[in-house]
Amino acid sequence: MTQAAASTSRRRTRSTVVAAIAAFALVLAGLLVAAYNEGAFKAQATREAQVQADILAASVTAALAFDDEGAAQEYLNALRANPEVEAAGLYASSGALLAGYRRSAGQVLPVRQIKPAAANSEGHIIVGAPVIQAGEVLGSVYLRTAAEPLSGRILRYAAIGLLGVMASLVVVVLAVFNAGQRRANRALGEANEALRLQIEQRQKAEEALRQSQKMEAMGQLTGGVAHDFNNLLMVASSGLDLLDRTADPARREVLKGAVRQALDRGAGLTRQLLAFSRRSPLKSTVVDLAAQIEGMRVLLDRSLREDITVRIETAPDLWPVEVDAGQLEVAVLNIAVNARDAMPSGGTITIRVVNRPDQEIEELDGDFVELSVTDTGKGMSAETIQRVFEPFFTTKDVGKGTGLGLSQVYGFTRASGGDARIMSEPGKGSTVALYFPRSTNALAEPVEEAAPTAPLQAPAGYRILLVEDDDAVAAAVGGMLSELGYRHVRVANATAALEALESGEAVDLVFSDMVMPGVIDGVTLAQSIRARWPELPVVLTSGFSEAADTASREGWRLLAKPYRIDALAAELAAARAEASAKR
Amino acid sequence: MTRAILILAASAAVCSGAALAQTPLETAVKAAYLYKFGGFVEWPATAFPTAESPAAICLVGADPFGALLDQAIRGQRIGGHPVTVTRLDRVDKGSPCQILFVSPSPRQPVAEALERVRGAPILTVTDGGADGASRGVIDFVLRDNRIRFRIDSKTAGEDGLSISSKLLSLAVKP
Ligand SMILES: Nc1ncnc2c1ncn2[C@@H]1O[C@H](COP(=O)(O)OP(=O)(O)O)[C@@H](O)[C@H]1O
Ligand SMILES: [Mg+2]
Repeated sequence: MTQAAASTSRRRTRSTVVAAIAAFALVLAGLLVAAYNEGAFKAQATREAQVQADILAASVTAALAFDDEGAAQEYLNALRANPEVEAAGLYASSGALLAGYRRSAGQVLPVRQIKPAAANSEGHIIVGAPVIQAGEVLGSVYLRTAAEPLSGRILRYAAIGLLGVMASLVVVVLAVFNAGQRRANRALGEANEALRLQIEQRQKAEEALRQSQKMEAMGQLTGGVAHDFNNLLMVASSGLDLLDRTADPARREVLKGAVRQALDRGAGLTRQLLAFSRRSPLKSTVVDLAAQIEGMRVLLDRSLREDITVRIETAPDLWPVEVDAGQLEVAVLNIAVNARDAMPSGGTITIRVVNRPDQEIEELDGDFVELSVTDTGKGMSAETIQRVFEPFFTTKDVGKGTGLGLSQVYGFTRASGGDARIMSEPGKGSTVALYFPRSTNALAEPVEEAAPTAPLQAPAGYRILLVEDDDAVAAAVGGMLSELGYRHVRVANATAALEALESGEAVDLVFSDMVMPGVIDGVTLAQSIRARWPELPVVLTSGFSEAADTASREGWRLLAKPYRIDALAAELAAARAEASAKR
Repeated sequence: MTRAILILAASAAVCSGAALAQTPLETAVKAAYLYKFGGFVEWPATAFPTAESPAAICLVGADPFGALLDQAIRGQRIGGHPVTVTRLDRVDKGSPCQILFVSPSPRQPVAEALERVRGAPILTVTDGGADGASRGVIDFVLRDNRIRFRIDSKTAGEDGLSISSKLLSLAVKP
């Protein structure tokens, strides 16, 4: 028990570190965006100021050559027409100030000529230009402009500040969360781990975002995502705090549900970001849309508000379609959430699935299944309809909309060989209709019935070799395994796993992470095990959808991170059952 | 050139009206201006036989500058042409000059000298001409203790010279 406590505390420290890193990454992203904007803006503004200075220098050559201060002053005074110019000066070749212009008495003007490069300062753009006449340098011009209208600067810096505040909130919430956790029970340990895994996921999402290189859009995006994550962290943390303070089992259930829901939303958000950044390839399977939508009822009820009624109408004998079930879920959620947002004072969402024989949809024709979502909300103008599928197009406030929802919907339906359409009018509600081509393949047999089953609880003395490089994850997974009655030994990489097996370590199953440091990854480890110990069942796990894709293509058992304890129990049980069936 | 040498002593201001009675400072400034005008004037291509032909500053009549002018032009160029100083006792259309400073002289009165070169692409400069007939295209005047100048752009145009608006903007109104 003391050992368990030690590892739990290590895990907590680790979570805080991860949160801090996430927060740091967030701020860094914000700063990058700001720096990029600032840089681009400065470059442009500097160019403009330089042109002004050059023009000025060219205009005052005669004034300088003939020491006509009055004329020079008139040229400088003409700068008054440009409100951005704060001060300007004309200096003789000796460096002495010949004529100067200051927009207001508060502005300063160097008394002697200075090097512009050395003088560039915060909030100002300072440029210089030599006054040259017939190859002879007669003097120089100094020009200082305000870098940007003050209001603009304040806005921009406020945005950076906001990001910083959000980031610190993440850290604070995590710290509070950890403090609460210290006193919490084992069930909470699981929630903590799930949260940690999600933060890890989110870092991957951020990484993916960076790859998309949409710097301008990123400012907006980071704001929205940070906001959402922050909210769910708040929910999770306060939920855990309250859990600590109540012994009433009913109340505890409600609180656990709330924490769970926040985590689910976080996972959904990450999925959406991953889908957007196209790092998660579609895994199409033949599905029955009616069953899929039915299965989403609980999720929809959770994601929407009480004043919103969800009606699901599915026609009988729907044709099967081939789609990625996860993406479909995200798409329907995205549409439903938009519908919710369009109905601030409640309304009805109707999800309808019908067969549409012989349709011509864009360049496609044939049989389609139509999935439409109709709301009784405020509707859209023609201009909005034109742009809704554009990534980052949003009419919502920063933090409320990312503009990614419908672009995911569109991308997903197109990738599924179908199309998405909008029908709406201001004040008359909206319908988003998705068309999926009818699949000629038969529906897969429900897996549960075909696969041999085994009791979820582990047989006595069943030993698992856990291959996991991350200490915190290993501790969490180890905890879950013990909870399910499994015994386990843990190694940190694939090479160590092979060594352990060779040295005769008696294990009944190998449960391995896929992406690990070291020369061998999870799939290669699984292949070597199959070659040498064909009877030994292997279950792989990964948070990377690409890796997961490779694994399922090769037919390995795979548990996608983050997973819950019952999913782990089911997967291990299925692997055991399969292994004993083979024997 | 610094501002200091331009702020003329009060004593100089007293006798400013007389072209011959000027301080060495004032003279030096005018000498420098004389070649500097060249940078703001465009001559017709025919004014220079070749790219290396010198731009000649000619002096006719009494020479107020002496060595000051030769010092001022040393190493200077006008439109790429090396600057030379030529002192003449009288001038006419064919005189090899690009800039001509006309001083009163017994041999050729200012008005006559100017009349003689009318129509030739020569930038005539005078100092404090009493009337239109005795003022060159550019005529030095003293304003607020500073040396300034009038410009007769009409005559300049007739002589085939084009004067930069930058210089025109500095001219005092006649
Ligand atoms: N059901 C709807 N009713 C009214 N407007 C909608 C609806 N769905 C989408 N929109 C409009 O389309 C925009 C883009 O939606 P989306 O891509 O999901 O991004 P987001 O919801 O983050 O703004 C929304 O901001 C909104 O203006
Ligand atoms: Mg949306």
